[in-house]
Amino acid sequence: MSMSQLDAETTTILAKLDADKALRPDEPSLPVGEWMGKNLFGMGQGSPWAVVRSTLLTVLFGLLALFSYRGFLNFVFSEERRWDAVRTNLRLLFTQAYPDENYTRVWVTVAIVAALAGLSLGLMKVGRGLSMKRIATWCFAWGGLIVVGILLREASALTNADGSIQLDVDKQPIREGFIDKLGERGTWWVLGLVLLVIGSVIWFTLGDLRRRTTFVPAIPFGLVTLGLFISSVWWFNWGNYTFTDDGFTFDPGNKVAGSTQMPWTLIFVVLLVAYLIGQFLLRSERAGTFRGVVNGLWLLAPFVTFWVVLRGPVIDWSHVLSTHLPMALGFIVLGGALLWFLTQPGIGEKGRIIAVALILFALFNWLAAFMGWYPMLQKARLSFLFLGLAAAIAPNFIGDAKQRLKLIYGWVGFMTIFHILVTIINTPSSVEVPTEDFAGGFMITVYVAVFTMIFSFPLGVVLALARTSRLPLFRMLSTVYIEVIRGVPLITLLFFFSVFVNLFLPEGMELSGLAAVTVAFVLFSAAYLAENVRGGLQAIRRGQYEASDALGLTTVQRTMFIVLPQGLRVSIPPLVGQVIATFKETSLLAIVGVFDFLRIARDVIPAQTEFLGVKQENLLFISAVYFIVSYSMSKYSQRLEKQLGVGER
Amino acid sequence: MSISDATTFTSDEMASRADMIISDGVDKWYGDFQALKGVTATIKEREVVVVLGPSGSGKSTWIRCINRLEQHQGGRIAVDGVELTNDTRNIEKIRREVGMVFQGFNLFPHITVLDNITLAPIWVRKKPRGEAEQLGRDLLERVGIPEQADKFPGQLSGGQQQRVAIARALAMEPRIMLFDEPTSALDPEMIKEVLDVMKELARSGMTMMVVTHEMGFAREVADRIIFMESGEIVEVGPPEHFFTNPTEDRTKLFLSQIL
Repeated sequence: MSMSQLDAETTTILAKLDADKALRPDEPSLPVGEWMGKNLFGMGQGSPWAVVRSTLLTVLFGLLALFSYRGFLNFVFSEERRWDAVRTNLRLLFTQAYPDENYTRVWVTVAIVAALAGLSLGLMKVGRGLSMKRIATWCFAWGGLIVVGILLREASALTNADGSIQLDVDKQPIREGFIDKLGERGTWWVLGLVLLVIGSVIWFTLGDLRRRTTFVPAIPFGLVTLGLFISSVWWFNWGNYTFTDDGFTFDPGNKVAGSTQMPWTLIFVVLLVAYLIGQFLLRSERAGTFRGVVNGLWLLAPFVTFWVVLRGPVIDWSHVLSTHLPMALGFIVLGGALLWFLTQPGIGEKGRIIAVALILFALFNWLAAFMGWYPMLQKARLSFLFLGLAAAIAPNFIGDAKQRLKLIYGWVGFMTIFHILVTIINTPSSVEVPTEDFAGGFMITVYVAVFTMIFSFPLGVVLALARTSRLPLFRMLSTVYIEVIRGVPLITLLFFFSVFVNLFLPEGMELSGLAAVTVAFVLFSAAYLAENVRGGLQAIRRGQYEASDALGLTTVQRTMFIVLPQGLRVSIPPLVGQVIATFKETSLLAIVGVFDFLRIARDVIPAQTEFLGVKQENLLFISAVYFIVSYSMSKYSQRLEKQLGVGER
Repeated sequence: MSISDATTFTSDEMASRADMIISDGVDKWYGDFQALKGVTATIKEREVVVVLGPSGSGKSTWIRCINRLEQHQGGRIAVDGVELTNDTRNIEKIRREVGMVFQGFNLFPHITVLDNITLAPIWVRKKPRGEAEQLGRDLLERVGIPEQADKFPGQLSGGQQQRVAIARALAMEPRIMLFDEPTSALDPEMIKEVLDVMKELARSGMTMMVVTHEMGFAREVADRIIFMESGEIVEVGPPEHFFTNPTEDRTKLFLSQIL
C-alpha cells in the first residue's frame, strides 16, 4: 500500500521498541570474575567434569584464536608486504582505464550517489541510536584487540643504513628484542589505551544508567567517522598514479591524494548538506512522500549515472526530433487515450478483448523480429508490450475520473522515462575509453550487480507468481525455467552468453560484452529470487486468499494488495542474501575476460614493472572491500526486517 | 423493531418475501468422502438462519459453497436470483452481494484497520477514497471501536479483530451476511461483544446465515434453525420448537449433549 501506511506501521513498531527499552529494568550484571568462571570455565554447575571440559575447550579455542590473529598481523604488517601496490593503484582498482580528461564524470556519479544517500539517511526513521553501553563495549573490544595485537605481533626486522633488511646466516631477517618492540609502537599504544580508557570511564562512571539514559545518534556518529576517514586525503600519502593514457607507467610527481582532495571533500559536503536537507524534510507532514520520491530517484540513478553521466551520450537532435520524439508522443498520447477508453465504466468484455489483442500483437512483434519479417525499433516493440500490460490491468482502474487518471498519469510518467532512457542508452558515447569494455574495476562490479538486481527482481517475482499460479501452462513454464537455470553452473551460463549467444539471436539484434554477461546474471539471479519469493508466498495463510475472494477482489488486486506485500516481507532475509550473493558472484566476470575488481587485483597490478608479482596484498584489499559492502547490506536487511516486523503478525 | 418483533414473523409474511439463497440438492465430495448430501433449503430476505450441528456435519462446507469458496458438485445454488455457476461474472456478482465473516478473522495484517475496511469499497465498488474512509469510520463506530481505525490488526484483541472483520464485510454493503463460526476462536469474555454486534445487525434487517455453537444466540436471534448431521439437513424449525420440542432423535441426542 502507500507510504503513509507503511510509516504508521514503522512508527508504531519503533515506538514499541523504545517503550520496551525504557521500561525494562537492567538485568543484574555479574562481576567480571564470576562471569568468566561461569561462561568460560564451567564453574557453578557443581560438576568437576564440566570445569575440566569447559576449561579445555576455552584454552584450546582461545589459543587458536590468538595464533590466527598473530598470523594475520604478521602477514599484514610484515616488511615484505607491498601495500604501496594497492595504494598506488587505487584509481586502477576502482575505475580502470576511465580517461583522465573525463574523470569529472566519475566524481559527479559518486556525488549523485552521495546526495541520494544523504537524503535517505536524513529521512530515515531511527530509534534512539547507540546506547553508551554499546559504545563502551566497542571501545573495550577494539582497544583490547590493539593492545593484544601489539604484544602478539613479531618484532620488526632490523634494517641496514641503506634501508635493506638485515639477514642472518639462514637468510632470515634479524629482529629486534621484545622490549624494543614494545617501545617502538607508540601510535598504536596511544590508540589502544585511549579506547580502553574511554570504555572504562563510560562503563564504571555511568553504572546501570549506561544502558538507558544516554544515547548517541548513530547516523551523525557514522558521518563524523566517515569525515575523519575522508580527511586522510589531506594528510596521508596515498601513493602515486601509475596509470596514464599510454599505459602503465610510474608517475612520481602525481599523488593520488593530491588529485582527489577536492573531489572527496566536495562529495563529503554534498553528503552532509543532503543529510541536513533530509532531516529538514523529515519534520514535514509529507515525509513519507519525500521518502517515496527518493526511493524512485535511487531506482533511476543507475541508468542516469551510467548512460548519461559516465558515457556522455552524443545526441543526434535532428534524428531525435524526426523519429524518437514523435514515436514517444504517439505512444504517450494514443496509448493514454486508449487507456482512458478502457477504464470507462461499463466497458465490460470489450476491454478484456482489446487487452488480449494488444498483448498478442506485442508478442507477435517479437516473433516477427526473430523471423526477420519486418523491421521495427526495439523501443516500439517494448512499448506495445507495456501498453498491452497496462490495458490488462486497466479494469482495476474503472471508476470516476480521479480513479481513471491514476492509470493515465502512471502511463505517461512511465513512458516518458522509458523513452528518454532508451533513446539515451542507444546513442553512442562521447567518452572514448582505450579498453574494450567501457569501464572496469570496482565501478563495473557495482554496475553489473546493480543492474542485475534491478532487472532480476521483477522477473523473479513474475516467475514466482507463475510458479504458484493456478494455470498449468504458467506453472509448467516457470518450473522448467527455474529448474533448468538452477541446474546449470553460473560460469557456464556466463561463457555461453559472452561467446555464443549472438549465434542464436536474429540479425540486427546483438548482445555484446557487458550487456551479454549482465543478461546472464539477470537470468540466473531471477531463478533463485523466484524460489525465495515463492517461499514467502507459500507462507501466506489460506484465510488471506479466502478473505480477498469473499470481498470480491480480482486476482490482480489480490496479488498486488494482499499476497505480494505479505509474501515479499517474509522473503526479505533470503532476498538480501541473494543480492549479496549476486554482488560477490560478479567476480566471475574476471574469468570471462572482463576487467572487473578481481581481475585487476589478480592479473593487472602484478603485471606492472613496479609491482611485479604482487598479488596477496591486492587480494586482501579487495576482500576487505567486498566484505564491507556485503556486511553493510546484511546490516541494512536486519534493520529492514525489524522495521517491517517480519515474523510479527 | 425490537428483538421479539423480529422473531415472531408469521408464516404468511415469510412466504411473501423474496428468496435470497436457494440451495437445491447440493452435493459436495472431498475425494471419496461426501461432505454434503443433497442439501436443500431456501433462505428468505431479512431472515436470520442459524445452522447447528456437530463438527464434521458439513455446515461450514455448505456456507462456504454459497459464495464459492468451495465448489459444489451437484445440485444448484442461487443467490439473490443469480445462479452460481462456473461463470466468473456470476461469482463476482454474488461475492459483491455476500459478506463473509470467518472463524479466524482473516484480517489483512499488513495494513491498518481502516485500510482493511476501505480496500474492497475502493477497488471493487470503485468508491472515492474519502467517501470510503467516511463509511469505514462510520462502520467502526457501529461495531463500537472507532478509536482503533489507525492501528494494525495484530494490535487488537480477538473480539475487536472479529468486529473489524464484520465492519469490513459490511463495507461492501452486502445484501446477505454469512458467519462461519464467528466466535469459536475467541476467549469467553470476548464472545459477548461480537454477538452483540451480530444481534444489532439482525435487528437492522440483514439477511444472515450463521454457523455457530452459541445456543443462546440461536435461541434469541434466529428466525429458523437448521440442524445438520453427516452432510444432511436433519431438522428445520423456529427456535422455540427446536429447543423445546424437537421431533428427530438425532436432534434430541445433540441437544442432550450440548445443553
